[in-house]
Amino acid sequence: MKNVQFISLQPNPIIIKELRIRMRGIRPYAILTIFLIALVAAGYGMYHLMLRQALFGGSMLSFQVGQGLFSGLALCEICLIVFLAPAMTSGAISSEREQLTYEMLLATPLRPASILWGKLVAALSYIFLLIFAAVPVFSVVLMFGGIAPWDLLKVFLLLLITAITCGTIGLFCSSLLRRTSQATVISYSAILVLIGSTMMAGSLWSYFSGPIWQPVPPELLYLNPFSALISIVTVTPATSTDFFFGGDVFGLPLLSQFAAGVVHYGPNGPVVLPIYRATIVFYLILTVALYWISTHLVLPRRRWIPRWSDVTFAVLLAVLIGGTWLTHDWWRVLPPPSI
Amino acid sequence: MTNAIETTNLTRRYGKTTALANLNLSVAQGSIYGFIGPNGAGKTTTLRLLAGLLEPSSGEIRLLNQKLSGSGTEAQRLVGYMPDFFGVYDDLRVWEYLDFFARCYGLDHARRRTTVEQLLDLVDLTPRRNDFVQNLSRGMQQRLCLAHALVHDPPILLLDEPASGLDPRARVELRELLRTLREMGKTIVLSSHILSELAEICTEIGIIDCGQMIVSGSVDAVRQQLQGGSHLRIRILGAVEPAVEALQNTPAASRLPAIAEVRVDSSDERVLHVELANATEETQAALLTHLVTSGILVSEYHAQTENLENLFLRLTEVMS
Repeated sequence: MKNVQFISLQPNPIIIKELRIRMRGIRPYAILTIFLIALVAAGYGMYHLMLRQALFGGSMLSFQVGQGLFSGLALCEICLIVFLAPAMTSGAISSEREQLTYEMLLATPLRPASILWGKLVAALSYIFLLIFAAVPVFSVVLMFGGIAPWDLLKVFLLLLITAITCGTIGLFCSSLLRRTSQATVISYSAILVLIGSTMMAGSLWSYFSGPIWQPVPPELLYLNPFSALISIVTVTPATSTDFFFGGDVFGLPLLSQFAAGVVHYGPNGPVVLPIYRATIVFYLILTVALYWISTHLVLPRRRWIPRWSDVTFAVLLAVLIGGTWLTHDWWRVLPPPSI
Repeated sequence: MTNAIETTNLTRRYGKTTALANLNLSVAQGSIYGFIGPNGAGKTTTLRLLAGLLEPSSGEIRLLNQKLSGSGTEAQRLVGYMPDFFGVYDDLRVWEYLDFFARCYGLDHARRRTTVEQLLDLVDLTPRRNDFVQNLSRGMQQRLCLAHALVHDPPILLLDEPASGLDPRARVELRELLRTLREMGKTIVLSSHILSELAEICTEIGIIDCGQMIVSGSVDAVRQQLQGGSHLRIRILGAVEPAVEALQNTPAASRLPAIAEVRVDSSDERVLHVELANATEETQAALLTHLVTSGILVSEYHAQTENLENLFLRLTEVMS
């Protein structure tokens, strides 16, 4: 055997290995099939729910059905992402440590950052597959009207960024902790805090604000992916005088729980605040920051000594923060004055 | 000849604990070097330092005359490392496992295919190439792990306890494999608790305890150095008393060795064990001549070398 060339332009070996393991057998295809069937069933159920509302006197036009279905299906997808992404990544590094293969990987020329990148891409690629496989199901809402293709794109952008952020949170915990069980618990806890605390604050704000019944400040909801989703899928908010089972949002009653602070009622009627812009911006910053720290956590030695890659991350983060600052007129939306 | 491995005052501390203290090690190219030491002696720390997985607290490592830098990246090219507790990806097939590590070393498609086939052949796993790794026996997994350390054709192999957990047949197979690798020009450093095996296969050994090298060199030199005197086993035809008398009353000012102790074997009363204080081949031959000329009928006469286990136990007892 001759000496080996160590410069390679080949695909990341971790991605190939992970995909080989993950896509083997019938399981991944069965999960995909079950997911699509469940999504179709959920959409069908929502459709019938809305038809029943019409029977009880609620106004139900075709565009409203389209918007309701759109909201419900998007909620199903984001739930799936929030619960699946950390599960896919929280064992990425810790499982290598647990099965004693991490040291063998570190003995190769593969850089720890490449291991991290390969793990993230491999884990998220399956979630992306689920998201893209759902596109035909989503396209059904276009038949009912009420939704512009641009809204669909915005939802998919939010879903992808939420998947990357939740995946990076799992990856960070996996790099930080030695055991997968600990990493899973901590990453789910972090996501629960991210969603739960903002949702709780949004729900309770009106009761404890002074004077009482003040609208929730949108800043409280920036990091909640559900609120961001509401701000996209609520194309036509229900007016406060409407009787509608879904409350502020067409579709499922549950969705209205996330609408507090997103839909504001001003003198000129209800206004939907585009919270999703701030969510996307802050999720990107959070993702880069967590990934940067993770690249140091996975190092076996000289963990916190600055490296050249840190310059790249610092520049990227500076660009993102600078861009966020410069575009604050776009993403920082002020609520209209209350009625 | 250039040394494959050379360390100078190599020290590694974990907090206040010194795992390795001023290790000066030289391993000649093409040799099989065996590390002997009790648990916690510093064997694994030494191998991990050599593999570039740990950073020395102080001291220097040279691999094929190339100094290991702080990042230890040179070791990745020069060294194939097999840890003591190795992991395998259960859900990969045998060929995929090697293919994965070959990709990690950046081998192109053609080289990868050839290397995987060659290595499967070398470790005798070609018939199992499409099996899942989890279905292999422990010995096969051990051979596969050894093969993974060879994908980039490194000149130095570091094997931490490669024979642990193997049955006798698998150990013999591993020993043969290591001999083959040595014939291929590899320098092999291995640690083991099975000392007799090290003695059979290693050209050099080093005994390490409490992070310090006690003795290092060729197996015979180490044995000679530790054993001091030598031990003779003599079988007598007829009564042993005259032989004991002849041994205890050796003429002064002769070329005969100084006899420290003569005792009769507990299980065979016709066998004598003789401890010599300062024996050479010449003095041992002179002692045999003395017995024969004294009219003693000797049916067996040979020097017994102390095995490595005894030497190791004696040495570590002294150290403790």
